[in-house]
Amino acid sequence: MIIFKKSIPRRTFLRGLGASVALPMLDAMIPALARPGDVKMPLRVGYIYTANGIIRERFQPATAGSNYEMTDILKPWEPYRDQLLVLSNLNNGNDKVNGHVGGCTTYLTGVAPNKSLSDARAGISVDQVIARKFAEETPLGSLQLCIENAAERAGQAEDGYSAAYTNTVCWGGPTTPLPMEARPREVFERLFGDAGTDPAARQARIHDQKSILDFVKEEAKRYKKKLGAADSAKLSEFTDTLRDVELGLQKAEEKVDMELPDMKRPMGIPEHEDHIRLMYDLMLLAFQTDMTRVGVFMLAREFSEQVYTQLGHQDPYHPLTHHRGDPVRKRQAGEIDMYHAKLFGEFLAKMKATKEADGSSLLDNSILVYGAGMGDGDIHSKWNVPIAVLGGGRGTLKGGRHIVYKEGTLLTDLHVAILNKAGIPTESFGEDSGRSNGELDLSRPA
Amino acid sequence: MNYRIFFRSAFFILYTLLTGVVYCQAQDQGSVEQFRTTLDRYCVTCHNETLKTAGLMLDQANLHDLSEAPQIWERVITKLSLRAMPPVGMPRPDESFYESFTSYLKSRLNALAADNPNPGRTVIAHRLNRTEYTNAVRDLMGVEIDGVARLPADNSGGFDNLGELLSMSLVLMEKYMSTARDVSRMAIGDTTVQADSIQYTIDPKRLQHERMTEDLPFGSRGGIAVRHHFPLDGEYELNIRLLKTAATSFVIGLAEPDRLDVRVDGQRIKLFTIGGDNVGLGVNDTILATDLADLRQSEYEYKADEKLRVRFPMKAGTHTVQVTYLEQSFATEGHFTPPSYEYYNDSLGDPSTRHFAKQSVSSITVNGPYNARGVGKTDSHEKIFVCGPSSPAEQEPCARRILSNLARLAYRRPVDDSDINPLIDLYRQGHRATGSFEPGIRKAIEGMLTSPGFLFRIELDPEDAEPGSVYPVSDLEMASRLSFFLWSSLPDDELLTLAEQGKLNQTAVLGQQVKRMLKDKRSASLVDNFAEQWLLLRNLPQTDKSSDVFPKFDVNLRQDLYQEVKLFVGSIFNENRSILDLLRADYSFLNERLARHYGVKDVIGNRFRRVALPEDQRGLLARGGIMAITSYPNRNSTVLRGKWVLDNLLASPPPPPPDDIPPLEAVQAPPGETLTLRERMEIHPANPTCAVCHNQMDPIGFGLENYDAIGKWRTEEEGKPINASGRLPSGVEFEGPAELQVALLKDPEIFVSAFTQKLLTYALGRPVEYYDMPAVREIVAGASRNDFRFSTIVSGIVDSIPFQMRRAEP
Repeated sequence: MIIFKKSIPRRTFLRGLGASVALPMLDAMIPALARPGDVKMPLRVGYIYTANGIIRERFQPATAGSNYEMTDILKPWEPYRDQLLVLSNLNNGNDKVNGHVGGCTTYLTGVAPNKSLSDARAGISVDQVIARKFAEETPLGSLQLCIENAAERAGQAEDGYSAAYTNTVCWGGPTTPLPMEARPREVFERLFGDAGTDPAARQARIHDQKSILDFVKEEAKRYKKKLGAADSAKLSEFTDTLRDVELGLQKAEEKVDMELPDMKRPMGIPEHEDHIRLMYDLMLLAFQTDMTRVGVFMLAREFSEQVYTQLGHQDPYHPLTHHRGDPVRKRQAGEIDMYHAKLFGEFLAKMKATKEADGSSLLDNSILVYGAGMGDGDIHSKWNVPIAVLGGGRGTLKGGRHIVYKEGTLLTDLHVAILNKAGIPTESFGEDSGRSNGELDLSRPA
Repeated sequence: MNYRIFFRSAFFILYTLLTGVVYCQAQDQGSVEQFRTTLDRYCVTCHNETLKTAGLMLDQANLHDLSEAPQIWERVITKLSLRAMPPVGMPRPDESFYESFTSYLKSRLNALAADNPNPGRTVIAHRLNRTEYTNAVRDLMGVEIDGVARLPADNSGGFDNLGELLSMSLVLMEKYMSTARDVSRMAIGDTTVQADSIQYTIDPKRLQHERMTEDLPFGSRGGIAVRHHFPLDGEYELNIRLLKTAATSFVIGLAEPDRLDVRVDGQRIKLFTIGGDNVGLGVNDTILATDLADLRQSEYEYKADEKLRVRFPMKAGTHTVQVTYLEQSFATEGHFTPPSYEYYNDSLGDPSTRHFAKQSVSSITVNGPYNARGVGKTDSHEKIFVCGPSSPAEQEPCARRILSNLARLAYRRPVDDSDINPLIDLYRQGHRATGSFEPGIRKAIEGMLTSPGFLFRIELDPEDAEPGSVYPVSDLEMASRLSFFLWSSLPDDELLTLAEQGKLNQTAVLGQQVKRMLKDKRSASLVDNFAEQWLLLRNLPQTDKSSDVFPKFDVNLRQDLYQEVKLFVGSIFNENRSILDLLRADYSFLNERLARHYGVKDVIGNRFRRVALPEDQRGLLARGGIMAITSYPNRNSTVLRGKWVLDNLLASPPPPPPDDIPPLEAVQAPPGETLTLRERMEIHPANPTCAVCHNQMDPIGFGLENYDAIGKWRTEEEGKPINASGRLPSGVEFEGPAELQVALLKDPEIFVSAFTQKLLTYALGRPVEYYDMPAVREIVAGASRNDFRFSTIVSGIVDSIPFQMRRAEP
């Protein structure tokens, strides 16, 4: 159990958010006995995904090495240059598969989507492999955040692929696309529950949940027996999920005494820009309170019809990225990329400003991967996808460089590298492991 | 073979004999040879083992024995029925070939299916989706929840009830647990519940110039009506916030006094008067004014809604909370030009405009309960407490009765001790912890709603079923198939009782139940759930249009267009009309805003009513809501429209675009001219890669060029007259939407077959496969004898092999 220095004054952040909102420093989260160097702070891993590709030449620097010139899109991250790695020439799967659907499915799974309306199939995504390992120590394995609640749209099947593919980038297993959450309140309640922040109430709530869980486990067993030899993947999925619920409850119980900031639950969904900020804030809060160590955030979904009116645009995002070389449309597509990068830059600033028990910053202890599933959204190519890795990775990353890999290097080799840094010894990842060159070298001089 | 199956098989064979072209063996040889010659001449050029065009190889396919590859021949039937092959511009066989060849294929495949029915296999454990879950707790316990807000969206493969796609995840399981807890508390009541604060907001872009919904009184304007659950008998406080300017947060519309009416279930609890109090010198544009009097005015305008709070006693249960303005005008309701958001809101920055704008509600918040007096007596109690213990000794037997009654309905089958004992254990835990009866029941209900028995529809092979064999589903399974198809919910007591008595396999009983269920208001799910997904109407609420190009397309118009399609489709389903009316009915449902949108005269007021329409404005393809979702924000799209028609009305989706779409050749307009969309789109056929599919999609879309991106009629674009001449994949040409509609219905069975395939997919919760096509043809043929009335298609589905039967695990 963690002992805290002092309680946190009542605060009402996460309410009525705007540009000015910053999270309070939760120094009460610092274990009371900690002195800098005493505690090894945990690694956090985040994946930030932007849809429809990124205008590559405004992202990737012209030269490799450490003396590269910042590009338009990277500019907002200049203050963190020494913790920034720009990685070029990484390929995200097979160009024969539909660009959007394949791009976002393969991005974290390394597996091409199965072309079907009813049988969505890929592979477990890298964030979930890490989440399973890290969940041994936190109440929640991971957070999946998004902005467009696209699953609300009917018949969003694209080109003969189930909508399941483009609604997510996270897969719990080959047949389990994970829902992404767009509603801040839902995220908040997943993190901190609906019983309020009083430890006794939280304890009682956990006790209640456990008794129901025990009942459901017995029921599941009973139904499994009833079904006999019949192969029911669906019921097995159900049972597997119960195990995860149980694990989460155990972790929550261990943390039940942790003092939480007295927060208001966010209500409704704010305007687009504040929505993105709020989701970043929630991710930060989850990392900061160590409720989870893995977060994935989809800034937009493939085929996004979002109109960036805040940039003065009239055309939606997806059609703009099919600019066909039209200079105005191409510029506007780039503006969206720069805008996304700016908001991510704000998140980096908060990550940097958030101090941990040992005096390091949250950013120092994180690996944040920012990128897209396509290298060129206009022609749906999936080679040389724009990727940047930010953070200190708890001393495992050596930033300040633009690394240009050998042509044909797989994006999955980056996943392998991160898995190894996360303490999950791995040699290859995804279905294309035959072409893997092994762990991507993130410290190799350019 | 049970009676039901025997009857339908006999019928089917008879049908095949009567309607199919009967080929006797001798005739067969000759015609099959001719078919082969024709195929070799017209089709095999592309569809052969070398080129494998579209993955369809016809050169080696056996025409004598279709059972070798029925999936190939079903594809051929689809394409040839539409006359979509060979592609336009290529040499075509005679019309007589199309006729005789497709009837040969159909009658042979039908006969094969009759000899050897293949009902397909639905999943063993089919999870209830979000809509079904929400409806189930409503029907089981009278508890209304907002499923969309509580549960994650289900994955969709066109429909969101496909068993294979309904997976489980940690997030979903957590939601099931927390929702079960909340539902059990809403149903029973919980005296330990803390005061909560629930806010309902109104889209600020929705103008409040008129009566907003049927749930608000006549003569009202603006505001909101919500179904709110009051957890206990007690006091509650309602806070109302008014719409403010975005930049300065001043309440708008304070120039004149307005009366704000607050009601619960129609009973007034408070009438506020707000506005008209000029306390300063004038209206301010900033709260930083220096003049004292103006500061007072600023403060007034800033905080005018803070006094809008009312405390009132309320009984536990779900009630309708209504907050609305009393219409000030004495004119007949709705004598106005429906305003549009753009004209209105752009000027709100100006202080005087702001001041004289219509006061509007921004949100209402219900807080409470305070001074709670108990759990009260609610409709849910009526449904749940079939007994009430008068002594401690009666408690557990009564609990057993209550839980047995509920579990039977929740699990949709007779229950025994193995089902009830675990629930009784939970009851005891809840009882022990609190010392009273109700919390025990509550805990047991919480468990029941998380049991796989509730969350999954389970269909099991009979123990003695041979692997891969075909068997009729049990009566209990049939009851659930029916109720989830027609109601998106649980079977009710009547249906379940008939199933338990083993009567549901009697044709008369089944038919009578289908009739009863279609009449029941729960069958509204066929519109709300099936039609909304089939037509992609669910995309409409998120469809935005460029406000520069379509200033009139605001939230109000969008909402009305949405409502129109639902009323229109609903009228065809509920009045049991021919489903061909979906494309050709001479009416729709309009209010004044929509009438102006479509250019129809003499419709006054915002209430929807049935209105006759001219030829060019008829059917689904003329509905603004459909035209809006098949357009881009700034222009209409012939491609999206053509694709929508092929997908949803003709069941012949075009293949996906290639990934390496070649850039369109830049088309230079002559100096001083701009090109119309049509002129730009006509580039597609010039490029052979594009032409294959765009030759099918674009010419259909061209026929709808008279409708702009919001479905408004137009006769010119870019100063040039609209050219709405188009062509179906069959090569049949038409001019404008009225002729397109006639062309689409020329062979009505094509549209009816498409509709049937969609409805069958939804009914089964699995995609329709090639082996379902004989059943689809049988349903269509059956319906054709009754003018394709909606109910004949529904009962055709209910009687069909895939709905009645299932294939055992191979």
